[in-house]
Amino acid sequence: MAHISPVTGRYVTFEVMGDELKVFFLENGSGQPLVCQHTAGCHNHQWRDLLEDEEITQNYRVIAYDLVRHGKSDPPKNKEWWKEEYRLTADYYVAFITAFCDALELEDPIFTGSSFGGQVALQLALRHPDRFAAVIPVEAADYSPGFFLDWWQHPHANAAQVCASGVWDLMAPQSPDQDRWATWFYYTQGSEAFRGDLYFYSVDHDLRGRLGEIDAEKCPVVIMNAEYDYLTTPEEGRQTAEQINGAEFIEMKGIGHFPMSENYPDFKQHLQQALQKIESKLGARTG
Amino acid sequence: MAAETAVTSGWIEDFRCASDEDAELQAHGRYYSCAYLLDMEEHSYLVQMHAGKVEEILEDPGPLDDRYQFIIRASAETWRGFGQETPPPMHHGLFAAAFRTDLSLEGDLLVLMQNLRCVVRQIELLRQTGVPV
Repeated sequence: MAHISPVTGRYVTFEVMGDELKVFFLENGSGQPLVCQHTAGCHNHQWRDLLEDEEITQNYRVIAYDLVRHGKSDPPKNKEWWKEEYRLTADYYVAFITAFCDALELEDPIFTGSSFGGQVALQLALRHPDRFAAVIPVEAADYSPGFFLDWWQHPHANAAQVCASGVWDLMAPQSPDQDRWATWFYYTQGSEAFRGDLYFYSVDHDLRGRLGEIDAEKCPVVIMNAEYDYLTTPEEGRQTAEQINGAEFIEMKGIGHFPMSENYPDFKQHLQQALQKIESKLGARTG
Repeated sequence: MAAETAVTSGWIEDFRCASDEDAELQAHGRYYSCAYLLDMEEHSYLVQMHAGKVEEILEDPGPLDDRYQFIIRASAETWRGFGQETPPPMHHGLFAAAFRTDLSLEGDLLVLMQNLRCVVRQIELLRQTGVPV
């Protein structure tokens, strides 16, 4: 029996640091905006189950976009981007997200993202605490070196498979095969962006010694790291949270680095816990 | 020593069968041809693959017995984690273990990357066969 999903996809055009962008996003639900960033070299389908989860979408307007150069968001329209090496910087990434939220006229959005999306969530809390109601950095830490590698694009290897199988064991063996393989499949599609994204992830994102400048009393921060993540372990997530005034930490057992995509039912429980923490914090402030 | 040899020779056969009968390796391993050394501290195994099938597995090869392109080297303790049905965190894959345990990837890593999907899958078969150390 056919079923039409309530999730809709649209494009929005806006400018970021001189780049003219046409950005694709999926959305469903109503209420406070929950803006979702996919992981490096991937696209918004990682949020497919959250987007269709009525329990969440009855209270939140879930919006999952494709970052420029990912999924259905093309590279800049006004630039000969093929003549440059792509390297995502923290400045550009933060400017993109705030411009996207402005373009959609989102009020008090909660921002979440995993991996390089988790790292930029920390950057948003540092740079724009007034623009976001809260952030939920997933698989995040102050610093995550070691993944800005040429292997992701090496011309003598199958880049699609190197990227997809290279991130395979960022996922937990317990996560369902169907979801792990869907995530693997997404990763075969983004090798050209993956390496450049990881410039931000492993090089330009470096908040060592700066976490004290983030104030989670102003912009609530709930960090969530998973047990099978070898890049940013729960211990590193916890240590990051401990250095941020007022931040909270949730450890996710039995999952990995792509929790929303590899095992949504487990991830959902932790996300709800994070959203409750944020609601009670924001409620206490206004109440 | 004899008992240990019997155990390990049983593992070689198990690993060969698990590989040659694995649906994923057989569906995607048409070009999986290379040789690598599994160094498990107490024993080492030279695994020679041809077109997705195990050609030969040499146990504790001598220094000049045959050639290989890369080495996956770790302590016996680390490999025991790989051999569990549900491996503990950081023993659940080559990259995870390379980042977080004593496992090292040595030699011509380009050959590893060229065959990454199949090597990753084949190493996961240790969850079925266990490890001989």
